[in-house]
Amino acid sequence: MMIRTMKLLAGASCIAVSALGATAAFAAGTDAGSTISNTATVSFTVGGVAQPNVSNTPTVFTVDRKVVFRVDETAPIATTTVAPGQTAAVTTFTVSNTSNATMDFGLAVTQQVGGAGAHSNTDNFDVTTPTIYADTNANGTYEPLIDTTVLTFLDEVLEDTSRTVFVVANIPAGRATGDVAAVTLTGQARLGGVAATQGAIATNTVGANTAGVDTVLADTAYDALNTASDGFGVAKDDYTVSAAALTVTKTNRIIEDPINTIASGNAANAKLIPGATIEYCIIVANAAGGGIATGVSISDPVPSTLSITAGSVRINGTATAGVCNADGVAGGSIAGQTVSSGTLNNVAAGGNVTMYFRATIN
Amino acid sequence: MKFLLALVAMIAPITAQASNNVSLTSSVFVEKAVKQPDGKTRLVLEEPRTVVPGDKLVFVLAYKNQGAKPATDFVVTNPLPGAVAFQGAGDNAAVVSADGGKSWGPLAALKVRKADGSVRSAYPEDVTHVRWAMKTPIPVGAAGKLSFRGVVR
Repeated sequence: MMIRTMKLLAGASCIAVSALGATAAFAAGTDAGSTISNTATVSFTVGGVAQPNVSNTPTVFTVDRKVVFRVDETAPIATTTVAPGQTAAVTTFTVSNTSNATMDFGLAVTQQVGGAGAHSNTDNFDVTTPTIYADTNANGTYEPLIDTTVLTFLDEVLEDTSRTVFVVANIPAGRATGDVAAVTLTGQARLGGVAATQGAIATNTVGANTAGVDTVLADTAYDALNTASDGFGVAKDDYTVSAAALTVTKTNRIIEDPINTIASGNAANAKLIPGATIEYCIIVANAAGGGIATGVSISDPVPSTLSITAGSVRINGTATAGVCNADGVAGGSIAGQTVSSGTLNNVAAGGNVTMYFRATIN
Repeated sequence: MKFLLALVAMIAPITAQASNNVSLTSSVFVEKAVKQPDGKTRLVLEEPRTVVPGDKLVFVLAYKNQGAKPATDFVVTNPLPGAVAFQGAGDNAAVVSADGGKSWGPLAALKVRKADGSVRSAYPEDVTHVRWAMKTPIPVGAAGKLSFRGVVR
């Protein structure tokens, strides 16, 4: 009989393939614990007389629990760019349950020690206090005031549903641009059924079928981090530091002196004598390839041998080849012998911002 | 199943007019891919141990004419269990129904009315019943097997 039926399999194989696509809506499938009972009936006549129908004893079996799930980095698939010293830096993961039963998932976050990160990079530091938070309002975005529940497991994840979780960590100060910290989120399948309680670890039912609901671990090796049928789902994400690397240069040039310029009208021959006017140019430059520098301010204490020219301070200008262009706007402040810019415009990577002012030699 | 066999055995010798002079048994197998020692995988059919969604099932119906006269107009009807999607019968003699047994035919000829009232061709998973109608009488003592395939939804 075995052989006979095997022949039938080959003939029907093409049908099976076409049906797979059409039944994709039933990803989770028949609920674990459902029974499948089959009864056929024969009607027939003997000697022209209809006979009572004959039915078989129903064949009954129970549908078992098929554990299928995965843990993934949530799109967009990209590193999380962070600044040195940043708090609450977020990586986002999705845990999807396509089992035919409600499941719990134990969660753990681990840090990588060296090796390849998640996005063609290499881990070289650890974040501090990586913590898993629930997406309380299920909007996929971490909101510190709303998503306050720390998770050790996901509770009662229904069939064919997914949950977003956040790994929130702090970035140590002093990291340089391009430093990478990789974090790994691991979910372990656990049996659902009791709300607010982490169920037992889901394991393959050993040995013969039982009358009850058995468990089959059917999670797949959907990427290199994962092993088929081990009850674990693993995903990796990483933080990449983008630091602003600021440099400050200060130059000066003589504008005029009382004798050569003002009396003789020859600016090119101005000398640094008492009464001469000097323009100071301060350039803050941010190295290429880093992060945007925000909240930049300049404070310049001027020697007492100079008198700062009131109203001469210009801020947020540009510089060309290390020289301030005459394009700033009036601003900043003078307090005693100190010139302050106040908060300047943000400085993009590879960009610069200037402050310049004039003073006369006493 | 044993019970039924025993019952048939008892009744069969009595008379052709007895109701249970035809026996029918159903069994189900799960198709599993088993790795062979040579590295190839082979499909084997086994008793349903662990059965989960997506598993392929083969239902086998075995009939036998236990009576003293040939059985004519012999029709075997098998409603599909709700959690099983039809995947084809093993022979062309089978007809199927996609509307709970009201109309019958080869799958390609069946239509299904959609929620919006329009009509589409029936898919295998629309099948609700499978039926075999024997053209020739079943001789005394003759037995046979019918099978169809399904997949656990």
